[in-house]
Amino acid sequence: MKGSGLALNLTEKSRRSIAFYLMISPWFVVFVLFSLYPLFYGLYLSFTNYIGLNLQTARWVGLQNYKNVFTDSDALYALGRTVMLTAVYVPISTLVGLLLAVLLNQNVRGVGIYRTIFYLPSIVPLVSAALMWKMMYANQTGILNVALKPLGMPSVNWLSYDYATMSLIITLIWASGSGILINLAGLKGISKELYEAASIDGAPALSRFVRITLPMMSPILFFNVIMGIIHTLQLYILPILLSGNDLLMAPIRPNYVYVVHAFQQVFAFQRFAYGMALLWVLFTVILLMTLVVFRSSRYWVHYEMEQEE
Amino acid sequence: MTEAGTSRWSRALIYALLLICSLAFLFPLFATLSSSLNPRGSMPSLLPKAFNYKNYVDATTMIDFWKYLRNSFVINAISVFTSTFSSGLVGYAFSRIQAPGRKLLFMLILSTMMLPNIVIQIPTYILLQKYGLLNSFYPWLIWGIGGTPFFIFLYRQFFSTIPKELEEAARMDGCSIFRTYWNIFLPLSIPVMVTVAIMNFQEKWGDAIVPFMFLKQAKYPLATALTNIGYTVQGNSELIVQEVTAAGSFLFMLPVIVVFFFGQRYLVEGTVSAGVKG
Repeated sequence: MKGSGLALNLTEKSRRSIAFYLMISPWFVVFVLFSLYPLFYGLYLSFTNYIGLNLQTARWVGLQNYKNVFTDSDALYALGRTVMLTAVYVPISTLVGLLLAVLLNQNVRGVGIYRTIFYLPSIVPLVSAALMWKMMYANQTGILNVALKPLGMPSVNWLSYDYATMSLIITLIWASGSGILINLAGLKGISKELYEAASIDGAPALSRFVRITLPMMSPILFFNVIMGIIHTLQLYILPILLSGNDLLMAPIRPNYVYVVHAFQQVFAFQRFAYGMALLWVLFTVILLMTLVVFRSSRYWVHYEMEQEE
Repeated sequence: MTEAGTSRWSRALIYALLLICSLAFLFPLFATLSSSLNPRGSMPSLLPKAFNYKNYVDATTMIDFWKYLRNSFVINAISVFTSTFSSGLVGYAFSRIQAPGRKLLFMLILSTMMLPNIVIQIPTYILLQKYGLLNSFYPWLIWGIGGTPFFIFLYRQFFSTIPKELEEAARMDGCSIFRTYWNIFLPLSIPVMVTVAIMNFQEKWGDAIVPFMFLKQAKYPLATALTNIGYTVQGNSELIVQEVTAAGSFLFMLPVIVVFFFGQRYLVEGTVSAGVKG
């Protein structure tokens, strides 16, 4: 192709292709340079002995860092806590999210106000939320304990060993309003006729919920479960902010979740390579779990029709 | 109107549940507000003991509040402006223009939504250090130009709903592909644009960790400053002044709440029209 006749020689189809590639190029270039390259650079680093000072002299150590992950008792402990947290939090939050959405879907007065109230916490920035809940949970001067006193409840040390995970879950649920909205959108999408037909047949409310609402909502619940798992496994900012330095000073703490451990290795001890190995193990776990959930979905997710564009 | 089968009792139960849940959801916000109005060093209380606005004055003077606020605004302005436009352009390309490899590239975008940010943040730190981009706002400009996978997805869903005829008519009139986008599709997508801009603002405004990693203290935005500097007693960095912290975190979340209330209509409209369904 000669430069002079370029514009004329191009067919409509290839002109559109070029336009396509030009238009996606901002994304693609930044994606390659600032996502893909760091991703694989990090993978490469996880096979070296890079510790923050020796980038020039860092050398390949093979799988050593990965072996260390599985012999690091703090990492294994943190992984256990994280899996437990996920196993407890995701079902609770899915259930609470669905029930709150069902409440918001009732034909009641002022429903818009309730919807705003439920959604409000999820737009509060994490930093503010953490500061607020830290004040709520404080042992001596915490507002929760002050509020519980007139009810005759004993004072609870909310961020202590026994209660810290529960407190974390409470805060997470408080901030989960966007999930409620997604559920609500799903509930609104269920056709009224289904419920009417069931009512005429004399089906009680509970069986209408089990036979109609749950199956019709299953794709959305499925979405929420996946997102919940992915987010919980990566959790680190909120536990750090809630427990502050206490969490980082004493590793074996209830909310010392996996990414907190990785964060600690990298930022406190400058163990970059080991931190990357820890994170790549997590990344693999997330990918595998997502795959398993996707695979299992065909047995319990009900699709009304074939998915289209 | 009462639905068939909904008794008076179950309606009472629904109202009671809604009320209890609302109170539970509002309680931390309300408690923080009370706390922010209490005199320093007093015991927390459910109702504010006085209308003590001095904590709010302290919140803006005890730390370099205005400087951090300005940093927050700069980061947000750069990020929201570039990402909103860039994501729109990419979303348009993916929804309206046929080209080889389009499906594969789109799958790539969807899968990056699953990529945990922290896996790339540490190598990114090392790379930014190499290129001398640490402690500057340039990374936010670059990320913004790259767009955001979720926003690209939203735009793409929205643009997919617009009838083909519109585009064909524009082409008949001699509009180039880019002009068709700029003059016809972009103006149509204003609800989505506003939605994306609001979400982007909320996300960037609240982000404390990325600035913490890539910036030095003088360039911290408010979010990072609040968590890493905090309102402490002079001479004792461990002793936090709760009432001032409460006031500070209220001031910090105010812009997000204001933006949310003004943009609420668009948020609902934008997500509905983009067809975020199961």
